[in-house]
Amino acid sequence: MKLNGCAYEKEVTRVLLQGGWPAACTDELRAHVAACRGCADLVLVTASFQREREAAVSAVRIGTPGALWWRAQLRRRNAAVERIARPILGAHLFALFICAAVVIAALTDQARQGVAWLTGLEELPHALTLNLGGLWSSMLLDSGWSLVVLLPAIALLVLLGGVAAFLAWERQ
Amino acid sequence: MQRESTLPQLLVGDAPRAAAAPMDSDAFAGFYERSARPLWAYLARVSGDPALADDLMQESFVHFLCSSWQSEGEVASRRYLFRIATNLLRDHWRRPRQASIEEIPEEFFADAVNSAQADSHAVLGPALALMRPRDRQLLWLAHAEGYTHKEIAEITGLASASIRLLLFRARRKIAGLLREQATRPGRP
Repeated sequence: MKLNGCAYEKEVTRVLLQGGWPAACTDELRAHVAACRGCADLVLVTASFQREREAAVSAVRIGTPGALWWRAQLRRRNAAVERIARPILGAHLFALFICAAVVIAALTDQARQGVAWLTGLEELPHALTLNLGGLWSSMLLDSGWSLVVLLPAIALLVLLGGVAAFLAWERQ
Repeated sequence: MQRESTLPQLLVGDAPRAAAAPMDSDAFAGFYERSARPLWAYLARVSGDPALADDLMQESFVHFLCSSWQSEGEVASRRYLFRIATNLLRDHWRRPRQASIEEIPEEFFADAVNSAQADSHAVLGPALALMRPRDRQLLWLAHAEGYTHKEIAEITGLASASIRLLLFRARRKIAGLLREQATRPGRP
């Protein structure tokens, strides 16, 4: 197998790609191609492919570039929106995590104080008078249902609402 | 065309500069006009499926426009386009085959084709069909498009040093097939 080819290969290729074969080449080159197997293959294959290309190019009907341009613009726009939305979604998830941690901490605290409150309830039948106003205020203030708990709960609701609104908007 | 050239910019808005269009819509229209047919011919003859070539050609142009490729002249842009098309074709071949009517090449349904195309394809088509897809790619890029070994390596992602050997073998094989076909009895 002679991989380096012959000395004429470059010239034959040049003539073929310029469309000069066989009219615009020297007798010497024609004689060489007739004798050299590699160059004969080159001529046969290149001429066949050139004819095939010409036929295919002239036969095909291509669409308008405008539709492709628009498609590309839309894809780029969607990619840009996705790029922007990714950190926002990350921030939402982070906020959700923080809120969940606050809620768990608050619930743990409430559970601890709830035990004391239940003990108070058990003692309720033994009481001589039932003071509902006093009971409510004791639930709110004494057992921990104070603003310290209520405010993060409201903040959590607002955040969850924001996440829900964002997800709904993104789906649209 | 005025509408097309202004609205996309509004749509894209403040998109990062890296994703800026490599060319405006007018330049793209010219580039498309000059490059679409050769690209389609490459895809159609290498895949053997004109319908697939239609799809991949459109997808190649969309990928080209979406890429951050900065135009370095038409020749380089076209080479980049062929590279995209080659990758898409490779992805298509790697995907599991689906047996649906969409997958059947249109040639089987076509009842009237251009006679010059039919003659040319009747000669090269059967020989090309017997070649491996990679060999078809190499042969088309080298002999139909006239790319150098270095450019073919850039388009196909193959090592530049191996192109010469692969191309030599593929050329020898298809030349044998073409000669065999020419001498086969029954052929005019």
